[in-house]
Amino acid sequence: MLSQRIAQQTLRRLALQNPAARFVAPAALASRNALVNQRRLAATTSSMQENQPNTEILAKQRLARPVSPHLSIYRPQITWYGSIINRITGSLMSGTFYLFGAAYLAAPVFGWHLETATIAAAFASWPVILQFLTKVVFGWQFTYHTFNGVRHLMWDTASGITNKAVNQTGWFVMGLSTVSAVALALL
Amino acid sequence: MALRLATRRLALAQQAPKVFRRGMATPTASDTLAHTKGEPLSTISEATSASRAPIPPSKTTTIKEPETDPQAKIKTFHIYRWNPDEPTSKPKMQSYTLDLNKTGPMMLDALIRIKNEVDPTLTFRRSCREGICGSCAMNIDGVNTLACLCRIPTETAKESRIYPLPHTYVVKDLVPDLTQFYKQYKSIKPYLQRDTPPPDGRENRQSKADRRKLDGLYECILCACCSTSCPSYWWNSEEYLGPAVLLQSYRWIADSRDEKTAARKDALNNSMSLYRCHTILNCSRTCPKGLNPALAIAEIKKSMAFSS
Amino acid sequence: MASTALRPALRQALAASTLSRTFTTAALPAFRSQSLLARQSPLALQRAAFQTSSKRAILPPLPQVMEGTVNDAARVPDPEPSHGSYHWTMERMVGLSLVPLTIAPFAAGSLNPVLDGAFISLLIIHSYVGFQSCITDYFPKWRVPRWRKFFDWANFVMVGIVGWGWYEFETNDVGLTEGIRRVWKAGSKVDVTA
Repeated sequence: MLSQRIAQQTLRRLALQNPAARFVAPAALASRNALVNQRRLAATTSSMQENQPNTEILAKQRLARPVSPHLSIYRPQITWYGSIINRITGSLMSGTFYLFGAAYLAAPVFGWHLETATIAAAFASWPVILQFLTKVVFGWQFTYHTFNGVRHLMWDTASGITNKAVNQTGWFVMGLSTVSAVALALL
Repeated sequence: MALRLATRRLALAQQAPKVFRRGMATPTASDTLAHTKGEPLSTISEATSASRAPIPPSKTTTIKEPETDPQAKIKTFHIYRWNPDEPTSKPKMQSYTLDLNKTGPMMLDALIRIKNEVDPTLTFRRSCREGICGSCAMNIDGVNTLACLCRIPTETAKESRIYPLPHTYVVKDLVPDLTQFYKQYKSIKPYLQRDTPPPDGRENRQSKADRRKLDGLYECILCACCSTSCPSYWWNSEEYLGPAVLLQSYRWIADSRDEKTAARKDALNNSMSLYRCHTILNCSRTCPKGLNPALAIAEIKKSMAFSS
Repeated sequence: MASTALRPALRQALAASTLSRTFTTAALPAFRSQSLLARQSPLALQRAAFQTSSKRAILPPLPQVMEGTVNDAARVPDPEPSHGSYHWTMERMVGLSLVPLTIAPFAAGSLNPVLDGAFISLLIIHSYVGFQSCITDYFPKWRVPRWRKFFDWANFVMVGIVGWGWYEFETNDVGLTEGIRRVWKAGSKVDVTA
């Protein structure tokens, strides 16, 4: 039964082949036409049109495809955590900077008092621990963004971009900014 | 599967010559056809979400290895599963346990063993098993790497999690669709472009120093580990080329024989293609071949700094 | 503004509002056939979370649609150095010149009005560029074109408003660095008027 089936398959394959091609081939080779006419029927020919019936199933299937998880499953590493912290600290500081600038402009209209002396007096009346914490939070944003900015400027000269150096400078900047933020808060 | 086993048993019973018996063990053309005919592709006609979270492993069952011995080093693998034949179902995390004593050292060995012995429906790409084809790129324990180059951590208390490459459209289980990645690769014209024929009429020669500039660039196997580790590429893969393709672009920019360097740089000189790189450096960190796409991108930016 | 940029609820709303439009305006026949499918499917499903935690959906991508055939190269944009290399260089120059201006107040106590003004101007440019890159990253043109336009303009307008506000502060008050110094030291026993 098995041998029968194999023989059948072989016969079918033979039948599919164009019998003339086998006789033509050597002649074509001799006249060098075969090389000129040789076509690579690989995927590089634009046979895969998206609107063709034969690819419609594929196009439909694509619509159903889920997107694999990313942020939630990627291992926390100093590289991308450091980067997003840089962006967050920058945005927070710029946000504060923008907010104060806009508020100072609008202050006369709404009767707010945003003069340095008023703010300083208000800040001085806070409990000391709250003052310290506020200073650490703002100080750390500032120191981290500054030191990491220097790191970025170094990278832009195409230096310090090795896995080892990136790891070391990343943690160094973390440590340095924390220490200097606390030092600034104690000023 | 059942069909294949049945024919195999039949063949053995009939005492067919050895040559043919072996032929039947591998699926023949007709076998494969019969196998896929069962699930008509038309069932996916109702389109559904392109973005669904997998069912967490706590809500699915664990498929266990059949028998265990007391010395066994049982490790659990949580693997992302999604079947295109059930397009409305959410992706889920399937748990498998394997005895590490009976498994090869690499993650790919574990995957192949699961597929061969535990669950034949598990789908993943693999080919060379030695880190040169880039087929088995996936996210293992949170980091993109090649399964064939990733050792299974031997501590059995820690469970391994395997996902497809992050933020890719999933074809099935661990198989991502990399069409966009390849289209982008094609867009940088990854071949030598010259208008002038070589001086000696035969070869485009290069000094040893010039050739050395391509070291660390030509080895890239385009596994897409770096591109899919890049948050910028996650958000903007439609327009941002991503680390792998930019590394390849630099491979041709840095090539002394190429004469279209200016055109290559022009193609990158817009807000999206190159400058979505914010030097996050996940790419270099994750490259299973130890290459440095971030450095290549930094070199491109540097060389373009004062050119229009 | 930056905090709203990442608010998931907003993102979801954006996804819902742009989805149908993106599909119906597609001109290629390939897109048209798919747009039917996209409209039939429930929108709620379309923008359901794709992460393991199903509640947060940051930048949910659209269903996969292929532009052209799978064998076509991705489109190469026209060169725009003013948004590319020149922009990048300008960004680095601003960053670089901010470094000495950041160190100077610590060394000298505070900045003189001219340097303080320069510091503020550079900070505004630096902030503008920073916000711009956030907007470009998180509000892709092909994805949320209207919101993108809105945020780009808002970012631009803010430069004027904030610049004016800080100009007022500089001319009427003590200046940025001196102001920060006074508030910073307000709590401690140091005499701030010194």
